[in-house]
Amino acid sequence: MIWSIIKNEWQFLIRTRVLLGLSAGFFVLLILSVFLGNQQIKHQTQIYQDAKEHLRQQWESIDAMNPHGAAHYGTYVFKPSSLLNNLDEGIHSVTGNVLKVEGHVQNEIAHSEASQMQTVSKFGKLKSSLILQYLVPLLLIFLAFHSISSEKESGRLKVLVLQGAKPLHLVLAKTISVCLYGILLLVFVIGIYSMVNFQSISTEVITRTSLFFISYATYYFIISGLTVFFSARWQNPTVALTSMLGIWIIWTIFLPSILMTAVEKWHQLPSRNEFKAAMKEDRSQGLDGHNPADERRKTLEEQTLKEYGVDSLSQLPINFDGILMQADEEYGNKVWDKHFGHLHTVLGQQKQSYQLGGLINPFISLQNASKGFMGSDNLHHQEFLVQVETYRRSFIKTLNDKHAFGGSKTGDWGWTADNAFFKSVPDFKYKQLALFSVFSNYRTDVIVLFLWLMMVCLLLMLGARKLQIV
Amino acid sequence: MISIQQASKSFKETTAVDKLSLEVQKGEILGLLGANGAGKSTTINMLLGFLHPDSGVVRINDMDTSREADKVRKLIGYIPENVNLYPYLSGIENLDYFCRLAALKYNKSDLQEILLTCGLEERAHQERVEAYSKGMRQKVGIAIAYAKKAKVYLLDEPASGLDPLASNELSALLKKLASAGATILMASHDIFRVREVCHRIGILKNGSLVKELHSKDVSANELEQLYLEYMKN
Repeated sequence: MIWSIIKNEWQFLIRTRVLLGLSAGFFVLLILSVFLGNQQIKHQTQIYQDAKEHLRQQWESIDAMNPHGAAHYGTYVFKPSSLLNNLDEGIHSVTGNVLKVEGHVQNEIAHSEASQMQTVSKFGKLKSSLILQYLVPLLLIFLAFHSISSEKESGRLKVLVLQGAKPLHLVLAKTISVCLYGILLLVFVIGIYSMVNFQSISTEVITRTSLFFISYATYYFIISGLTVFFSARWQNPTVALTSMLGIWIIWTIFLPSILMTAVEKWHQLPSRNEFKAAMKEDRSQGLDGHNPADERRKTLEEQTLKEYGVDSLSQLPINFDGILMQADEEYGNKVWDKHFGHLHTVLGQQKQSYQLGGLINPFISLQNASKGFMGSDNLHHQEFLVQVETYRRSFIKTLNDKHAFGGSKTGDWGWTADNAFFKSVPDFKYKQLALFSVFSNYRTDVIVLFLWLMMVCLLLMLGARKLQIV
Repeated sequence: MISIQQASKSFKETTAVDKLSLEVQKGEILGLLGANGAGKSTTINMLLGFLHPDSGVVRINDMDTSREADKVRKLIGYIPENVNLYPYLSGIENLDYFCRLAALKYNKSDLQEILLTCGLEERAHQERVEAYSKGMRQKVGIAIAYAKKAKVYLLDEPASGLDPLASNELSALLKKLASAGATILMASHDIFRVREVCHRIGILKNGSLVKELHSKDVSANELEQLYLEYMKN
């Protein structure tokens, strides 16, 4: 029976010209969003790849240079764009994409996509996620708000029930048929995406896209079910429509901002100035390779002399400057770990609290899961920063060790390493965050979405039981 | 058979049906005449099990329509005053859909035959209902009830909007159904049609049956006079 009702609802969708036109418009929008997004990501990836190769070529063409000088010269790391970002670019466009890796300092990531855009496009581009998260649910609301009330108004509901249709079957079938429309659009997007990126599809991409699909399908059921419930509960379809539009506005526009502000107040991050000042203060207490008066330098010097059994730096078989700079680097790393560790903790607390906001707003859970599974969330961004910092440490240590143990003596700043050494320094390689880690980070959002799904099912049962036939 | 014993139904302070008692036997057609608000639709809704009487008993084939609504509904064919079908479906598709809901399996030729029996011309079967006149929609509504092979037919102003020819066809169909053993209750304003089709006629006023008579005992004009008298008093 449910199948018959769904089939009938779909005949309505297929045979109504306005809806057909609207669907065609949506399909065109979705095709455009996938193609434009793909083109942009491929273009961006190509630019970064070219720049990366150019920089690597520059690095490998260093004939002779002092390793510490090379540490100051540094290199650049580019945040890779995944084709998955095409489905949801998340925070990708605002976080910056280029990071300079050099000695003594942990630079901030810069050159966000948004900062390089024209003013108008800064405020929103045609993205699949924009259509899937905002417009499709709106369309589902318009399709569902009159679904039961139209049957009541026309008197068909009486005949339907008399023919044997159970109210629960009716509300479920109406919900499923509207939800299926959303799922059709979703499948269409994923289908186009798969066709366009056929060669890049891997097991990881399939798994991530499946999780993405499940999150959206669940959200569409929530939206469709809630709208059908209002349609069944209230005699007046305008009231059902107004209620759902109100909920849509609150869920998508107000609550995310309100909850994020509340979470930021609750788990406060230091301001940029406070953070920089605190880092500077802690760093200034540390060893400074260019400041021989530093007490820590003296301790290190004494330890090194003792270790090599000599009385002065000039007698050392190695270059003490390299050891000193590496020690300073390691102290700097400790300062970084302390401050950024705190930042990470606070960011984690913010994320967890915000995720719980999904209990009153499933849109939050959808957005989190969508960004998370497509790898365009803060978790992936932070993972990139951590990997870059790990690389920076290894990169600088390699250079400092060369300076210390490569054959030069203390104070020999004119000593240079050869081209073979610079070629041997490995380039940065980003390792994608493990899927298990992603899922465990977004488990809460998936669970919250399923809780909402169950609640909507209960509401539908209640709506069916209370459905007034006459 | 239909049996209503001392049934009353009120909505807030308005009494729609007041201690109504009536019976319709198998093979019999009862016409209920009454002005708007006389309680005809409330009576039908109680018989359909959509409204429960505040007091009294409403039964169809010895089953309480409130307690055994699902079972009772399987026996009933209902034709409302305005048959609202799905405009994007054709007549035959509408009939097919409603039959499927009732778990009735008909093939295309069966459905066409039912529609023809109920007076819908063949050329209209495949047309979308949005292009149908009210009379044509009414015929599909009748076909839906007929296809169910109902034991009991409840008709609420079924001839409303039908042209004289279609009205006659409906009358003939109802008589045919009754002679085949169906129990029929028809609420209407149309005195002449009720007189012509029904075996017995009841006049409802303020939710009560104020007069009951056999149609063969009264001419159409006499029935009209009688009806008007009751409505005036």
